[in-house]
Amino acid sequence: MRSVACAALCLAAGHAGAQSAGQTSALDESSAGTNTQVAAALLHAPYSDLRAIRPIAGDAEAGRRKSESCAGCHGEHGIAIVQEFPSLAGQHADFTYWQLVEYKRDAMPGGQMTPPMTPLAADLSDADMRDLAVYYAGLDPAAAPATEAAARPATAEQLQRGELLYLSGDPGRGIPPCQGCHGSDARGHRDALRRDRNGRTPYAAYPALRGQQAAYLRLKLAEYRDGKQQDSTTDFVMSGVAVALDDASIQDLSAWLASLSWAAN
Amino acid sequence: MRMLQRSQASRLTLCMVLLLIAPFARAQDSGLGIDLQFGNALDPSGLEPSSGIGTLGCDPDGASWLTSVRKRTPTGFLYACPPDHPEFLLGGEWQYRGAFSVGYLGLSGDQDNMLFSRYSNWDDGLYLGGSFRYEKPSDGSYFDVRASRINDDDQYLRALYGRAGKYRIQAFVRSQSNVTSSNARSIWEGIGSNNLTLNGALTPASSTSAQVAAVSASQPEQSLVVVRDKQGLGINYFISPRWVAFGNISHESRAGARPFGGPFFFNYPFADNGGAYEIPRPIDDSTVNLNGGARWTGSAWRMEFAYSGSFFRHANGTFDYQVPFAVRPVVPGLVSPLLTSGQFAYEPENDYHHLRVNLTRKIALNGEFSLAASGGELSQNDQLAPPMTCTGQFGIPVIPGNLYDCANWNTSAALSRARADLAIKTSMLDARVVLQPGRDVTWRASAKYDRQDYQGDYDAFNPLTGQWGYPAENGAQGSVVPFESGIWDPGPGASNITRIRNLPLDRELLQFTLSADVRLNTSNSLGTTYSFDRTKRGNREVATTNDHSLKLTWHNRTFDWLTFRANYTYLRRTGSEYEFNPYEYTFSTSLPGFVIPPNGVPAHTVSAMRKYDVGGRTQHKADLMATFVLPSDMTFYASVRGDWNDYSAVIGRRGYDALGGSLQWEWQPTTATVASVWYGFDRSSLDLANVNDAALTPDPVLGGATYPEANRWWSRDRQRNHYAGLTLNQTVGRIKLDANWNWSSSRGRTSYSFNSPGALTTPALAALLTGQFPDMLYRAHAVSLGVAIPVNRSFSVRVFDRYERGRVSDWHYLGFENGQVLDHRVDTDGGPTDYSANLIGLAFEVKL
Repeated sequence: MRSVACAALCLAAGHAGAQSAGQTSALDESSAGTNTQVAAALLHAPYSDLRAIRPIAGDAEAGRRKSESCAGCHGEHGIAIVQEFPSLAGQHADFTYWQLVEYKRDAMPGGQMTPPMTPLAADLSDADMRDLAVYYAGLDPAAAPATEAAARPATAEQLQRGELLYLSGDPGRGIPPCQGCHGSDARGHRDALRRDRNGRTPYAAYPALRGQQAAYLRLKLAEYRDGKQQDSTTDFVMSGVAVALDDASIQDLSAWLASLSWAAN
Repeated sequence: MRMLQRSQASRLTLCMVLLLIAPFARAQDSGLGIDLQFGNALDPSGLEPSSGIGTLGCDPDGASWLTSVRKRTPTGFLYACPPDHPEFLLGGEWQYRGAFSVGYLGLSGDQDNMLFSRYSNWDDGLYLGGSFRYEKPSDGSYFDVRASRINDDDQYLRALYGRAGKYRIQAFVRSQSNVTSSNARSIWEGIGSNNLTLNGALTPASSTSAQVAAVSASQPEQSLVVVRDKQGLGINYFISPRWVAFGNISHESRAGARPFGGPFFFNYPFADNGGAYEIPRPIDDSTVNLNGGARWTGSAWRMEFAYSGSFFRHANGTFDYQVPFAVRPVVPGLVSPLLTSGQFAYEPENDYHHLRVNLTRKIALNGEFSLAASGGELSQNDQLAPPMTCTGQFGIPVIPGNLYDCANWNTSAALSRARADLAIKTSMLDARVVLQPGRDVTWRASAKYDRQDYQGDYDAFNPLTGQWGYPAENGAQGSVVPFESGIWDPGPGASNITRIRNLPLDRELLQFTLSADVRLNTSNSLGTTYSFDRTKRGNREVATTNDHSLKLTWHNRTFDWLTFRANYTYLRRTGSEYEFNPYEYTFSTSLPGFVIPPNGVPAHTVSAMRKYDVGGRTQHKADLMATFVLPSDMTFYASVRGDWNDYSAVIGRRGYDALGGSLQWEWQPTTATVASVWYGFDRSSLDLANVNDAALTPDPVLGGATYPEANRWWSRDRQRNHYAGLTLNQTVGRIKLDANWNWSSSRGRTSYSFNSPGALTTPALAALLTGQFPDMLYRAHAVSLGVAIPVNRSFSVRVFDRYERGRVSDWHYLGFENGQVLDHRVDTDGGPTDYSANLIGLAFEVKL
């Protein structure tokens, strides 16, 4: 209770320098290890402790070669062709990697959910996941062809409300500003690759939201609000924030984020 | 996993409730009252009443989902880890967790020794504990109850009920013991009552030293214990998001007995006469404390209005005791009437009222201005006790004016008024300004006015006889030495010197402070504070004292791994002219009709005396502290501190120097391991000088007839203390281990020198003196080990053991093995003694 409360309060304050118990996660060292090590660690961990991760490395060219099956949903250039799926182009490699790890975790005995990605991730090795994550991070979303999926039109008032909510939150409803974790330009946490005292990058797996499709964002925010995303420490942070969002707020936020262009701030 | 997800979801919901109330948390945490901490000797923190010490451990989730880096204090230390409370269980709208335990404590060795059982009064028997918490995330309601019982004298029950952001109600009952002696031998019966009567084998005022010694030696050792029982109720209520009202009331009663060395029957200068008694005095009183008020918190203004009150009541206004020994005059051939008992007044009943207003406003330059004003009154209006309880007569016959009728002194009619009717009124005004014109500079300034006014005068005048004063030492002194009865009259006692009225000690303080903190760069900050205190005192040796103080601070964080702090303080106290006897008007020498004795009025004290609380003083004080942040969440701390004082006194306290240091290492590599080791030392030296009077003459000058150079003496008290300790808490799988070791070693040595045997009370003993008293020693070890083994999710077993050993040497009690009665001096308490005791515990804990 205390830890979640602290997390939410820190988010509200617009910075993420809260205290931690210094837990050493099995994921910490496995991030540089093998697929077998990752699987073994996750099997016994109640959740993924992304506070203790280190930056990943991978082979972008190898990732490109492995991305053929991904392109079916996420687009040839990393821009999703299905509105409910995320665009991967330009996304932080650490976020994409740890998302894949989560899917793989669900595919293992004890997994709780079976989203579409679960069977696809089941056979990925740790190297595969790193390569794919690095490859998509290197794609320039601004250079991608024009939007491949139609976006739901948004009103000016809706965009204004979304922007206000993202930048300032709503203290009256207990909603902290989103920019505290996702950056004032929605390109990710400003300290994403800044190492802490123990050499870890706890904010590397906070995703960029800019230009994501509204349908995907609505889906994810609703899942957080409804407690359906409970697999990692970042899920716990986001759930604590989203619990105060109503449907209208989710619509506003999603619409405004989807309206942002990668090419400009 | 499923349970975890459910509980986390609930935690997240509650998180948002907490987020909503965050802006009001400051207003809710009033800090009022002293009953915020509930614990006992097994669990001082009060966190684990159900299972005792060390089983809760650290929450493996840490304190934040954002980062795993442990947060450190501004001075570099790790904050304590959040306890690993059990997960909440769901039950409808409420979620709950809790545990209770039943255990057995077994003691062996010197389990009753006062040094071992001082604040717990350990005993073999059952241990009970429990802790339950209910929370309703949907509206922030909570109910928390925790209780612990070691024995009748060490137990508590505390319940909290509230709703976040709305109200909070606390109710509690608690018992705490204070073992004041574990080896008392009392020649009195009726311990704990306000009438102490002598053992049946003794006759009041007619017993011999041998008879009293025999009775004392035949008494079994017993413990004297004072138990505090307290009950309280408090409420915080949020009238609106900005207004908070609060109120607390508590009632505490104390009952028991403790050794009390106050009763004198003028034995000191004369062997085989009178007596000096340490009695087991009764403790039986109660105190009601109240406070209440309201706070308002706005964006620009904050304010608070508060009342606090305290009401002390005793069960009996006096207590009396029979005395075994007679008093006889020093004049050969004369016989004094028997004085069979003495009396003491209990601490007077008193009322305390205090009103306080605080106003704070944000101002320009990112500043804040605050104004605090308060006023109060501490009053007592007890029914005054008669000066003494004797019957018949007291004093010395034959010599005119030295024999008194008790009937004139043993009723309230002998007093100038029936009730005390005295008070102290206080008033305070405090203004402060804080300005932060930039990120790197903070200015502070304050001015404070504080005043204490004594209200009421009391004259020790007996309207029945027209005499002034008070029978000294229950009439004993006047029964031994002629004209020292403590009673003045315009007749035969016209030259008697005695206190005749109360002594008001009015005080007025005017204080100004100016300080600045400057951050030179990201690594260095400097601070300086100058303060000036002007204190005016009524009826003291120095009418006005001026304290100039300058404090310099330097904080350095050049290296990520080091926080270095250095403080230096200089203080200089000056003042108006020192008047060595400002008390003249409180003595009979100020009465019209006082007749100066043939040899003049003896000097009150030596004029070279300088009392250290008002005399001149120069102080240098320095602290150096370094905190090293080492890898793997290790912390190393080293400090050195010194305090040097010069009192510029020829007679009185001349100097006090202290030097100390400490080393500390902490290691918390994971939530499963917490370890620390520390060592510290301090040493101090206190120098005193004084002079024995050679004759009763008016000459107050050092080196004169009263206080000759030959009678001067000096003493030096040197204290050396070493202390060390080790703690280890380790979780191995589901098993939790804890180990603690504490060691302390203290030595006090008092040395002395003197110019001649005339400096001594008994010059004939000069040849036996070695220049120092035997060392005062105290060495103690305490080791505790514990293991908690969870059998399953709900049931766990804990076994723990605590062993303590102490070695004590106190020269005040040397020779007590031969009896506690020496001549006419009777001690009740046997004094501190060596001990070795073991406590083993077995507890079964059941979680909900």
